Amino acid sequence: MTPTLLYHCPCLSNSPVPPPPHLASSSYSFHPLHTLFFCEECDAVRCNRCVSVEVSTYYCPNCLFEVPSASVRAEKNRCARNCFMCPNCRNTLSVVPSDPPDSSDGRVAIPISTVGEPPFFLYCNHCRWDSAEVGITFEKPTGLAAQLQKFEDSAPESLEFDRLKEHFEPFLRASSLSSSTSNAPAAVPSSAAHSHHLHSNSITAAASAALARDIPGVSKYNPLSRSTSTRGGIGNKDRSTNKDEMSVYKSRVDISTASRLGSGGGDADVEYMRHLETIGEVASLEQRWTNSWATPLQTGDLKPLRIPLHSKRSKRCPACTHILIKPEQKAQSVRYKIKLVAANYLPAITVALPHAQQIQSEAAKRTLGKSTITVTDDDRGTAAGGMHAGKTYPFHLALTNPLYDPIQVRLSVQRMHVATTSSAEGGAPEKARRPPFAVSLPTSSFPIAAFAEAWEYEDDEDMFGVDDDDELGLGRAGREKDGRGRVKTVGVLEKRANVTVVGGEVVIGKEARGGVKFNMLVSYTYRSDDPAPSEGNEGSPSKAAAKPPEIKTFAFYTVVDLGAIIPKEEPRSDMDF
Amino acid sequence: MTDFFEDRQAVTNTTRSGVHEYIYYPGLGTVLPQQITYALNMAPIRDKYTIHSKSIVCQDVELKGDITIGSGTIVHPKATIFAIAGPIVIGSGCIIEEGAIIVNRRKEVMRIGDDNLFEIGCRVESPTVGNFNTVSTRARVHHTVRIGSYCVIGTGCLLVPTEDEVLDDYSVTYGPAAERRIWSGRGKVQEADLRRKHAEYLRDMLPKFNRLRRGDGT
Repeated sequence: MTPTLLYHCPCLSNSPVPPPPHLASSSYSFHPLHTLFFCEECDAVRCNRCVSVEVSTYYCPNCLFEVPSASVRAEKNRCARNCFMCPNCRNTLSVVPSDPPDSSDGRVAIPISTVGEPPFFLYCNHCRWDSAEVGITFEKPTGLAAQLQKFEDSAPESLEFDRLKEHFEPFLRASSLSSSTSNAPAAVPSSAAHSHHLHSNSITAAASAALARDIPGVSKYNPLSRSTSTRGGIGNKDRSTNKDEMSVYKSRVDISTASRLGSGGGDADVEYMRHLETIGEVASLEQRWTNSWATPLQTGDLKPLRIPLHSKRSKRCPACTHILIKPEQKAQSVRYKIKLVAANYLPAITVALPHAQQIQSEAAKRTLGKSTITVTDDDRGTAAGGMHAGKTYPFHLALTNPLYDPIQVRLSVQRMHVATTSSAEGGAPEKARRPPFAVSLPTSSFPIAAFAEAWEYEDDEDMFGVDDDDELGLGRAGREKDGRGRVKTVGVLEKRANVTVVGGEVVIGKEARGGVKFNMLVSYTYRSDDPAPSEGNEGSPSKAAAKPPEIKTFAFYTVVDLGAIIPKEEPRSDMDF
Repeated sequence: MTDFFEDRQAVTNTTRSGVHEYIYYPGLGTVLPQQITYALNMAPIRDKYTIHSKSIVCQDVELKGDITIGSGTIVHPKATIFAIAGPIVIGSGCIIEEGAIIVNRRKEVMRIGDDNLFEIGCRVESPTVGNFNTVSTRARVHHTVRIGSYCVIGTGCLLVPTEDEVLDDYSVTYGPAAERRIWSGRGKVQEADLRRKHAEYLRDMLPKFNRLRRGDGT
């Protein structure tokens, strides 16, 4: 297992401090950097759990046709053009013409025309399923969904669904009407239930209107408001429309007789299963659950599926409702109109264990000469990445600066037993909760050079040297002392372009087991955007005076997972910190 | 090209007793020693290539043993055909793409029919192969499988049964688990037509950019 580093989003709790990483629940608070967003207004990291999501387009992933949202519901969320999915292997189906009718000996001398012969059918290039097997052929190769529509519409499930929709239609209409009337305060009759709306100011009215927004099919909490408003909507026929007062729904086909009519289920299926010869005759779960209707049990009866639509979504910050990410409307485009992703704001950090890398490269070298068959997986798995208890291992953190300005970064390890320090010190449970390893990181801050386009690095070779000398006189001296004392495993190891590699060290207790996983606070200072940016003049003497007011600090938590500890066998009791 | 038997890396005693130990040959993987001893003792491998004058066999092709290639068959450069134990006879109109490996480990003749397509990096050791089959990219078929006609071995499928078996006509294997089904055969005329056009195109184009290999007779 390669070591990983995830970023914290504090949306799940009120405190900005992440939960201790040894708790299983902590994994919900940490995310890979590429899934995170950054809200500039709130100056905060946002994750997919806390953003609010809006659909901006629906499109078919196969033909990239943008489906208007009105027809999405009518077409039951599937492509209504020529896109079908193989019911057998879920590959995309293509329309092919039939073979020419003659050729009794199987050897046709005449070249086949490119147009093709009329009975067209759907054909899977992967598993060679074709729709003629289930009796579906087409006269012309276009508008297939429309040609198939009659099959789909006549299916008992579809008819039943339509009947259900019809049955609930008056109720749905009533509830949507009631919500629309309650949204407009003027239209609301001055009933007792709505009086507090009228007395409150416009802001609370808007808020409550938003809360009372129409959710089709879900009835309002207040029964009085509904009964009053439906009176106007439906008319005075059913004066007190209520969920309970709807007529009893009767299904088209009685469920007890359904299996006899050939729709499967019940005894018919049991009988079928009894006479099974191969397992392949029964449609697998995977083949069945992509379909939204009841699917046949037998593989031979599976019908082609219209491809489900995908959507493009834009996401908003939950606090300030600013848009964090917004894709371009066109389905073909993969660009974004707005893209505030965290990778553009936070330094990207990758972890590496040098000893594991060495083992891996050796293993790769060994297997290179061998044949492909004789790779021994088992010995590679145990050797790579494992850390033995009671030993010390260096690790590397490579930080990449995405900003156009250099940043100063400071790393610190979060104390794991922070919550329990107030309790009795040195108690047995407290000791157990403490991590069985100690992590040392460079304590002083270090710089990471600015991100620049690749061509800039060629001629600006000395830019980084200038940076180092003048910004970090103090920090650097401290770090070097640190580095020399420890034969340079802790401290800044390498600086190139906008990447700085920092070394850390983990000392694993002799009795340690489990994994080496710790929270790390990363704080960095950067020059905030100001109206007149002084671009490029890093070495100028005026900079020192100009700089202090525009410097900002941002801090975020990460969790570093260095991998599992290989426990020691002999029972020793002393912890070696 | 070095001699075939000098290429081996792990050498065991290839005596008549036939010690059960696998020998590794580059490009071949492991080979049962019986086959080698057989080849060494009974019929020392003699390269004998019978290449039809209308077939296209590129110069950069590795051939070993007794190989017959039929008319109109195309062998791309970097393909490998090894007749370790018995001869290999390839029919007409086959296409053998780059990196494909065809091996005969048995004494009897390995017969490959007509109009078969062996795609890039596939490996076939079947004792018999019918007509109009497709062995897709990086698929592997062991010597225990005999292939019928109109079969498709899907991309990356491994057909490595321990028992001998015969792949029926119109069998299709697909997916990572090498699932099987029987193709209805609809559209096979068009596919055959496409296969012929494919071969025709290659017959025109390959000689323009590759040196060709000729049989022993010419």
